[in-house]
Amino acid sequence: MATATRRIAINLGGGYVPGLNAVITGAVLAAHELGWEVVGIRDGFDGLLFPDRYPDGGLVRLTRASVEHLSSAAGAILGTAARSDPFHVRSINGENQVEEIDRSDDLLETIRSQHIAAVISVVGTRALSILFKLHRKGLRTVAVPKSVENDMATTMLSFGFNSALSFAVETLDRARQAADSARKIGIVEVLGEHSGWLALQAGMAVCADAVLIPEIPYDITGVASKLRKKFQAGSTSALVVVAEGAMPGNRVQVPDVAAAADSFKASLSPGATGHEGAHVIERSGHVAETVALQIQRLTDQETYPLVLGQLVRGGPPTAVDRQLGLAYGAAAVRALNENHSGVMVSFQPPDLKFVPLAEAINKVRTVPGDSVFMQVARSLGISLGD
Amino acid sequence: MKKEPMTTKAPTGLVLNIQHFCTHDGPGIRTTVFLKQCSLRCKWCSNPESIHPKAELAYNPGKCIGRKECGLCLKPPFPEGAMYVIDGADDKVHVNWDLAGECDRETVAICPTQALHLFGQEMTVAEVLDEVEQDGTFYRESGGGITLSGGECLLQPDFSAALLAEAHQRGINTAIETAGNVPWRFMEQVLPHVDLMLHDHKLTDPVRHKKWCGADNSRILENFKKAYETFPQTKFIARTPVIPGVNDDEEHIRAVLAFIRPYKNVIDYELLPYHRFGESKYGFLGRVYELEDFTPPTSETIHRLQEIIDKAFGRGGTPPTA
Repeated sequence: MATATRRIAINLGGGYVPGLNAVITGAVLAAHELGWEVVGIRDGFDGLLFPDRYPDGGLVRLTRASVEHLSSAAGAILGTAARSDPFHVRSINGENQVEEIDRSDDLLETIRSQHIAAVISVVGTRALSILFKLHRKGLRTVAVPKSVENDMATTMLSFGFNSALSFAVETLDRARQAADSARKIGIVEVLGEHSGWLALQAGMAVCADAVLIPEIPYDITGVASKLRKKFQAGSTSALVVVAEGAMPGNRVQVPDVAAAADSFKASLSPGATGHEGAHVIERSGHVAETVALQIQRLTDQETYPLVLGQLVRGGPPTAVDRQLGLAYGAAAVRALNENHSGVMVSFQPPDLKFVPLAEAINKVRTVPGDSVFMQVARSLGISLGD
Repeated sequence: MKKEPMTTKAPTGLVLNIQHFCTHDGPGIRTTVFLKQCSLRCKWCSNPESIHPKAELAYNPGKCIGRKECGLCLKPPFPEGAMYVIDGADDKVHVNWDLAGECDRETVAICPTQALHLFGQEMTVAEVLDEVEQDGTFYRESGGGITLSGGECLLQPDFSAALLAEAHQRGINTAIETAGNVPWRFMEQVLPHVDLMLHDHKLTDPVRHKKWCGADNSRILENFKKAYETFPQTKFIARTPVIPGVNDDEEHIRAVLAFIRPYKNVIDYELLPYHRFGESKYGFLGRVYELEDFTPPTSETIHRLQEIIDKAFGRGGTPPTA
C-alpha cells in the first residue's frame, strides 16, 4: 500500500565496512515500494554542511534504477566520513584561526529546507552518539548498526562482521601455512578493542592453538605451556590469534619505553602525573608484538607477529552481509513508515526490531562467559588464555 | 620601544599548566606557563590539551579504580550517558566524549582519584607570578625567567601582556613561544614586554602549511617580518619542529634561513626533532592521534639539516639528538 510521498535521506556515518551499498539498496527499494523519494547525503553529513564542495550539491537522488545492481559492490557510493561531527566542524574564521564550531542547527535547518522528512543513518558506535544528540535536537532518524567487530550492542549481528570474519579466516589459513613452512609460531592480531568476536570466531574456524580476547585476561605462561607441549609432541608450528584489546591478567605492565617518557609526560600534563598516570595508547600491532616476544621467550620457539588491522574492513560484502544490509535498509524504511524515530534497527533473530537510541549508546556487545563459541573453542582444545 | 608597566586591573587567563625547571624554552632555567587555545591544528601537536579555548575534560584510565570500587561518575550530577562501563574483564569507566562535554569543574572534582580532570583554569596575573617566583633563585643563578607557551599564548593578549609586564616589574626575564597565527595587534600588544620570542616556521609552502597545520602561513610570515622590524631590541629565535616526511627537507630549512638572515635580531634557528610524547594525551581527551605511524627523525637527518643552519650562522656545533 502506497502512502503519501515523502522525501527521506540516507547517510553513512563513520568509516567503510562491507555491505554499506546493500543497506542503501535495501532502503531505496523499500522506499520505492512506498512511493517515497530517497536522496543520499555525501560523506556523512558533509554533503549538507558543505554543499559547495560537491558538483551535485552534496545530495544524490537515489532511484530504483541507480541501486538495483549495487548491493554486491565494494565501496560506498555516497562516500564515508570517519570524523563527520556536525557539533564540532573544523573551520577557519575571519582571523585565519582554526576552530571547531557547532553547526548542528545549520544541519537541521538544511534538512528542513531540503524537505527531508527523516534521515536513515548507518552508524558505528561513535556516529551513533552523534546521531543520538541530533535526535535530541529534533532530527527524525532511524539508525542502522554497522561493525566489523560485531560490537554494537542490542543487535545480534551487525552487517560487515561476516565479511570481516571471512577475510580473517582466509588470512589465518595463509598465516598457518606460512607458520608451517617457516616452523614458527604465528601470532595474528585482529580488530577487537573491547569485544573478541572476530578473534574468537575466526580463531575457532581455523582451529588456532590459542585465542586471546579482551573479555578474558590472559595468562601468558599458560598459553606458552600449552605451546611447549605441542612442540614437545613433535609439532613444528602453531597459530595464536589475538584481539587488539586482549590484556594480561597481571596488569598493569607499562612498556619500558613509556616508563622512560613518564617524567617528561608528567611535567607536560597534570593529567599524566604519577606512575599510575602512565596511560599509553596501544597502537595497532602492539598486542601481537608483545605476545610474540613473550611466547618466544617462554617457549624458545621463533614467533612472528602479523597484524590484520584495518585490512578486514575492505573488500566486497559476503552473501550474509548483502542479505543483512538489504534487510537492515528495508527495515529502516519500515520503521519510518510505522512512525518510529530515534530508534536503531536491531536484529533479534528471527525478527528485525527497533530499539531506542538511548538504549543502544554506551553499550558494547562483548562475548559472554557462557557463549557457545567459547564452549566450542574449549572443546576443540583451543586455549583462551585463562 | 618603551615598556610600560600595566597599571589597570590585570585580567585573568585560561592557564593549562605551569611547568618548572624548563631548560629548552629560552636561556637558563625557566618556568613555562602554558596557556590554552590555539589557532592551528598541527597534526603532530604534542599538547592537544592546549588547543581548545575552554576548560575541557580529560580522563586517565590508569587512575580509575573502576565501578565496583567507586562508580561515582556513573550517577548524577554527571550528565546522562557521559560515562559507562563495558561488561567484560575491564571494570574501568569509559567516557562517551560526545555526551560528556557538559561536565563542569565541580562535577569532575567528585572523582576521588583524579582520573577525571579538567584541563584549563582561570588564574590571575598575581596567582601565576606567585607560582613562577618560587623559582626566583634559579632564574638569578642561571639567567632564566618566565616563558609563555601554549597553545598560542598570543591569543590571550590582555593577559599575556599584563603577565609579562608584571614579570618585568619584578625583574624577571621574559620569553614567549608562538606560532604567530594571530592578528598583528595581538603580537604588537604583547611584544613590548618580551625579551625573547621563540617562533615556529613549520612549513614554507602555504598550501602545505594549511594541509598539515589547518591554516596557511601568509599572516604568520607577515607578522614575523613586522615583529623583526618593529621590535629591533627584542631577540628572536626561529624554530622548526622537524617532522619526517613533512618538513625534513633542505629546501624548507634554506627558505627559513633566507627569511630570517636579513634580520640581526634573529639570533638563532633551532631544530626540534619530532617526538611522540604527546601521544598518550590524545587518549586522555578522546581524540585520535593522526600521526601514529610516524617515527622521530633520524639523527642523520637532524645532523644534515643542522649543518646547513650552522653554516648560515657561521659556526660549527653539536646538533640536537633525535
